[in-house]
Amino acid sequence: MNTHDAGPEYRVAHFQDRLASGELGELGVHAEVRGGAVLVTGTVPSARCRDKVLEVVREELGGLDVHCDLVVSESSSPDHAEELS
Amino acid sequence: MIRVAAVGDIHMGPDTRGVLRPAFDTLPECADLLLLAGDLTRHGTTDEAQVVADEIRGLGVPVVAVLGNHDHHDDRQDEVSELLRDAGAHVLEGEATVLAVGDARVGVAGTKGFGGGFVGASAGEFGEPVMKEFVRVSRRCADGLRTALERLAQEDCDVRIALTHYSPVPETLAGEPPEIYPFLGSYLLAEAIDTAGADLAVHGHAHAGSEHGMTTGGVKVRNVAQPVIGRAFHVYHLPLRERVGADAV
Repeated sequence: MNTHDAGPEYRVAHFQDRLASGELGELGVHAEVRGGAVLVTGTVPSARCRDKVLEVVREELGGLDVHCDLVVSESSSPDHAEELS
Repeated sequence: MIRVAAVGDIHMGPDTRGVLRPAFDTLPECADLLLLAGDLTRHGTTDEAQVVADEIRGLGVPVVAVLGNHDHHDDRQDEVSELLRDAGAHVLEGEATVLAVGDARVGVAGTKGFGGGFVGASAGEFGEPVMKEFVRVSRRCADGLRTALERLAQEDCDVRIALTHYSPVPETLAGEPPEIYPFLGSYLLAEAIDTAGADLAVHGHAHAGSEHGMTTGGVKVRNVAQPVIGRAFHVYHLPLRERVGADAV
């Protein structure tokens, strides 16, 4: 039987599964393999959620080169309205 | 003119209690109603729904909501809806409500909607029972929306709005991976909107999508997922059609 180093793809998929089904219920964070690194992007509802996602990143993607760009939702009032004709 | 405020995917929980309220308190100055396009909670628990309920209670403008997939996760969607209704919201699923805004009548028809994809790349009602049920659920949601919009057409509304969580069109999904479009919306919703007629369609669900789209029939579609609009809500000014009646001749 041959075994192969499958690379990070399956770990990235399991990371997304855990975000969705775990405590966070987070479906809005995307992870993709780009070059030799994993890119984790998305908007989350709070700073606490962002910390939790980063915790899962450490647990599931440890040892990989990971770049995170996670933004917390903006909750200010709009400064203009859109006129629909 | 009707001023419609809308947001979806606010995903509230105990750690975001009160975060939206300062912005929501400005609503009476800039909007006539607030639409909530689903995914108001993270897991659909009653604790999270209570946070949402407290956030919208006594806002000074009517609130109309549909639930999203997150609001179904804990299988307590009825309790979630009830908590929101207790806070004064109209929660719609295949239903419509008519609001009086000054002299105008604003009709909102709502459904969560479901997936299935878009013309040329959509799921069919075929094969395994779970696959057939997937498509049937989407069809039931779309039928409910069409029926509700048709009911509004008979109720002399000046403006009709379709409110969903899932998207009726692919344009407002631009930015999401195309591979997951079938999980983000269904053309059946757009077909319902175009068949029954509407002045605006509002949805959420696609956090990485785009704000602007349009159905084949020319109905403007807006994706108001909070990560897309980058605000507590967006406001759309809808013109009122001139009424044609005996006193207008």
